Amino acid sequence: MNTTENTYRDRFTELEMSLPGFASLPLRHLRQEGMQRFIDNGFPTQRLENWKYTSVKTISQRAYQVHDHGCPGLDPSDLLPYLIAPVGVYRLVFVNGWFSRTLSDLHDFPEGVRVQSMAKVVDATPRTVEPYLENHQPGADQGFTHLNEALWSDGAFVLLSPGIRLDKPLHLLFLTTSSEKLKMTLPRNLIVAGAGSHAWMVESFVTLGHAAHCTNSHSTIILHDQAHVHHLLFLGENHSAQHVGTVETRLMGSSRLDSRLFSFGGERTRQEIHVHLAGEQAQCSLDGLFVGNENQHMDFHTSIHHMHANTRSQQLYKGILDGHAHGVFNGIITVLPHVLHTQSNQLSSNLLLSDTAEIDTKPQLEINSAAVQCSHGATVGSLDPEALFYLQSRGLDASTARSLLIQGFAAELLQRITSIPVQAWIERQFNKGDNHHES
Amino acid sequence: MNILEIKNLHVSVLNKPILRGLDLSLKEGEVHAIMGPNGSGKSTLANILVGRGDYHMTAGAILYHGEDLLVRTPEERARAGIFLAFQNPVEIPGVNNVQLLKEAFNAHRKYGQLPEMDAMSFRTYLQDRTKQLGLSDDWLFRPINVGFSGGEKKRNELLQMLVLEPQLAILDEIDSGLDIDALTDVANGVNALRHHRRSMLLITHYPRLLEQVHPDKVHVLIGGRLVATGGMELAVRLEEQGYGWLSEVAA
Repeated sequence: MNTTENTYRDRFTELEMSLPGFASLPLRHLRQEGMQRFIDNGFPTQRLENWKYTSVKTISQRAYQVHDHGCPGLDPSDLLPYLIAPVGVYRLVFVNGWFSRTLSDLHDFPEGVRVQSMAKVVDATPRTVEPYLENHQPGADQGFTHLNEALWSDGAFVLLSPGIRLDKPLHLLFLTTSSEKLKMTLPRNLIVAGAGSHAWMVESFVTLGHAAHCTNSHSTIILHDQAHVHHLLFLGENHSAQHVGTVETRLMGSSRLDSRLFSFGGERTRQEIHVHLAGEQAQCSLDGLFVGNENQHMDFHTSIHHMHANTRSQQLYKGILDGHAHGVFNGIITVLPHVLHTQSNQLSSNLLLSDTAEIDTKPQLEINSAAVQCSHGATVGSLDPEALFYLQSRGLDASTARSLLIQGFAAELLQRITSIPVQAWIERQFNKGDNHHES
Repeated sequence: MNILEIKNLHVSVLNKPILRGLDLSLKEGEVHAIMGPNGSGKSTLANILVGRGDYHMTAGAILYHGEDLLVRTPEERARAGIFLAFQNPVEIPGVNNVQLLKEAFNAHRKYGQLPEMDAMSFRTYLQDRTKQLGLSDDWLFRPINVGFSGGEKKRNELLQMLVLEPQLAILDEIDSGLDIDALTDVANGVNALRHHRRSMLLITHYPRLLEQVHPDKVHVLIGGRLVATGGMELAVRLEEQGYGWLSEVAA
């Protein structure tokens, strides 16, 4: 077996007894199984169809430190640039993969809402999470997930009781402080929305500093009947960061997931979002906006599985690529045999701002049932020269005209965010990136 | 003094000569109409004035306030007071009218070395103008020209003009594709924009608009040259007899 993979196994053996959840036999077993699968399958390579466009050599061939506790004394004011808003938002902060109580703001949760550090929960009350934590099906393309299953450090555990309506957005902030040591952080989140509950959540990934690091994150979201969850994923790490993430979701009857992905950072990003529509009338909408320039590489894989009748899904992913950036969008929609009256729409729309930027976009439909409605499409274009001229003829200089058109391309995704503070924050992040690009 | 002076203008589009020796002078506050059949070069004249790419002057000169116009970029021309109401304004999804008006207005203010107008005053300034054109309150927040009818697009051009207060307005077939009522609305809009410091070039096929706007002069453009100049009586004769009687002059 490859020596890099073995390094992680050795580190696992060394750390195992100190890893969260060791006292629980089922959880201990999950970690061991994850490590075994990681060793069996290794890091994915480009020979795998699902990883065709994305090389992970920058991860597999470098020696990353996992579970580096080196946590500098951060002051709450250090967080300010990364906050959605200073007040009016619940906040859990993780520094280098570990929960920070002092930086978090967990005051005044309504009764029936449990929000805690995963590490703490699996040690104190492992039975709470045991029913929900399970390993992914083993697979050659799942190396990162298996590694996370074995070595995850901490993350958020969120449990909403039935009928609970979270009054403010919940922000899960994952901050890596970059240093000389090449760090890999392995967050793991579990979100369980009880029947009829409603919540707005943001998971954001950022870096303090410019040095390279790697994030390998995994989130599981379970929506019980009629729950409605807004889940926004913000990938805003520095331009030397490697980011691999997976979101697994399971939607029970009449529940609804609004997934919003915004990817602006990272050198190399691979994000997977998997949705199982596992109850009648469950529905999801998956939006994505990715902005890449220079040599950024961003690869998004979504899968939506219509497992029951009358389920609905819609997807809109937009890419804005400049410089030598490379984007990938791959969206799988499956409908099981005998599952009737499903509706699914998928659109991938891309704006290339340079001749050297590149996009690979591919819908993948596996529909085994007749009574379904399904549409999909992909577009790739550049800025409309007529529109640019129109704006210039009104007195706007070329760069302002260009910015306005780029904003216009992104606008529908920015405007569809239903939480006012979250929307204002994302717009700021988007415009910051644009200004940065102009300079 | 002439605000615009065009001398012996020759313009080619993709190496094809379109304008072939056009002369025109426009004084401050004057409204001139340019009429002519399809393909005579009317829109080429509009496009060369605002600096659209692919239009190349091969001979002649265009002076704006006595200075060479063609050395300036499209945005510099706009800030210096030139405005084209497009024949077919482009639709821009995701960018609303107020965003465009704000950026354009501030660019003009900056050029004129005036401070930016504060948000509240600008809002009032805009509302006065939408009201003047009888536009609804949500107009400003609609994406630029997206899903607009022909008449709405023309009125949107007039709104931009009303906000930017140009010194030279070129209206390229502002009357095309309009029914009688919409035409009257647009004509009223044009009349409201008349000002003793503002000159206008009305490019049109039809005298109907001119009957309501009353230009100071009417020119006929055929084969890339002005072949006749007169008053409203010229427009009326064109309506009755067509362009045939002028073809000999153009040949």
